[in-house]
Amino acid sequence: MRNRLNALLLLLLFIFVLVPAAGAAADAAACLGCHGSMEGSVNVNQEKFSKSVHGSFDCIMCHMSLKGAQHAGLSGKADAATRELASQISPKSKIDPIAQAACAQCHGDIYQAYKGSVHGKNVINKKSPDGPVCTSCHGSPHYIQPKTSKESAVNHFNVVQTCGKCHEEKFMSEKYGFSEHVMERYKESFHGRKLKVGHPNAPSCVDCHGSHDIKSDKDPASPVVGANKIKTCSKCHAGANEKFVAAITHQAPRPIAHFTEIALIILTMSVFFFICIHVLLDIYADVRDRLFRKGKGGSHE
Amino acid sequence: MNNKNIPTEIERFDLSARIQHVIMFTSFLLLSFTGWGLKYAYQDPASAWIRFWGGAKMAGMIHRVAGITMLLDFIYHQFYLINQARKGGFRLSLVPMPKDVVDAFHNFMYFFGFRKEKPYFGKFNYMQKFDYWAVYWGMFIIGASGFFLAFPVTVSSLFPMWSIQWIWDVIFVMHSDEALLAIVFILIFHFYNEHLRSEVFPMNWMWLTGKMSIEQLKHHHPAEYDYLYGDKKKK
Repeated sequence: MRNRLNALLLLLLFIFVLVPAAGAAADAAACLGCHGSMEGSVNVNQEKFSKSVHGSFDCIMCHMSLKGAQHAGLSGKADAATRELASQISPKSKIDPIAQAACAQCHGDIYQAYKGSVHGKNVINKKSPDGPVCTSCHGSPHYIQPKTSKESAVNHFNVVQTCGKCHEEKFMSEKYGFSEHVMERYKESFHGRKLKVGHPNAPSCVDCHGSHDIKSDKDPASPVVGANKIKTCSKCHAGANEKFVAAITHQAPRPIAHFTEIALIILTMSVFFFICIHVLLDIYADVRDRLFRKGKGGSHE
Repeated sequence: MNNKNIPTEIERFDLSARIQHVIMFTSFLLLSFTGWGLKYAYQDPASAWIRFWGGAKMAGMIHRVAGITMLLDFIYHQFYLINQARKGGFRLSLVPMPKDVVDAFHNFMYFFGFRKEKPYFGKFNYMQKFDYWAVYWGMFIIGASGFFLAFPVTVSSLFPMWSIQWIWDVIFVMHSDEALLAIVFILIFHFYNEHLRSEVFPMNWMWLTGKMSIEQLKHHHPAEYDYLYGDKKKK
């Protein structure tokens, strides 16, 4: 029995330690041997990686052509399509554009949608360092969680914050001509508030604007433009018409709404001060009467 | 004082009025509790508070049901008033009068010690009238805007096109800010007058009994006392 156990342990030792070390191809364990303890952007947290949706992957599935002598012979060479995409997105994806481009290998349909989106065109065609690539919204692919997870950056309740990373920036709104108040106006709206307190049906940005195939509001194909907007609002508000959908623009409030609010605040504060003073005086008079006017104060006997 | 024609207590609120009040404050509290979570959604305890009320969906449902209950209670009250008038003996004792301004002035004089006696209050003093009419203000501003917000698609067709860009912002601040005003008003003014004042603490039991003793009436509503019994017992 003991011999068998020893044999088994030896076998396990051989499989886990000796085989990768001798390895012809590198698997994740071999890479993590170094990258698990390295500092900075090259570090990969083994525990978090193993729990991610990509946790079973080998590193070289995405890092298809590794550079540097230390990686010699560990990976092959990326295919032509991936290399081309990598060169297109390289201004945006600095660490390993090949690995970033590799997402399209499995997520081809999403890549096609992204390519036609305002984000994708900005990155791929205009070579802009602003527009997002996959990891800009989804976070590091090493730690990616399913959309249903609370930790996912694109979870229903987290995605607004993720969009806000860029869309809250003033220079972005100036450069690309979207409303400077878009995030602020969404957050103070009923939609934003309901989402914040955990309403499962409250719309986040992507429920109206779309995600991978997102379009500029100058594009007639945008789901929030013209007749499309009516269709989009109707997803929740049955019977929505042109008049109804005009309500949400994410623009700064009109002066009349602004001044109504100020008037109401003045009214609230005035009533507040009046009743506070009234109550305090009443307490004062009550105490005074009890102390100094026993049996007399305020009586009509 | 022991005049046989003068009862020891007098009914100020009949059963219907007391039930209306209970429905009103129950729905008011539910509306305040659930609405508060949404108004301050970005302050930390809001999400936990909403979870306490069964999550955002349930809190929204409670808010709508309580809101409609309150509106129905308010509408019922109008029929109640009409019925009171039909039965006769209906007095406009809650209508604000120039005398209320004089009373308020006298009350402040009394607070500051310039007058020895409290004002010659009628059946309802100016504070109680303020309390009563505050509900009408709340119903028209908060109730109407709440109704609009509950049925936005239907209601939007009532608004002219040129108002669409701002009308919802106006409705939103009306609902939210005036609700805050209502809560602050109840919490400070109504709670002080009917719960915390040394005479009534812990509460004015009239909300259950509907009755006030004659001494209380004479002390707090002398004009009403004189109106009812004055001819029998000259002041």
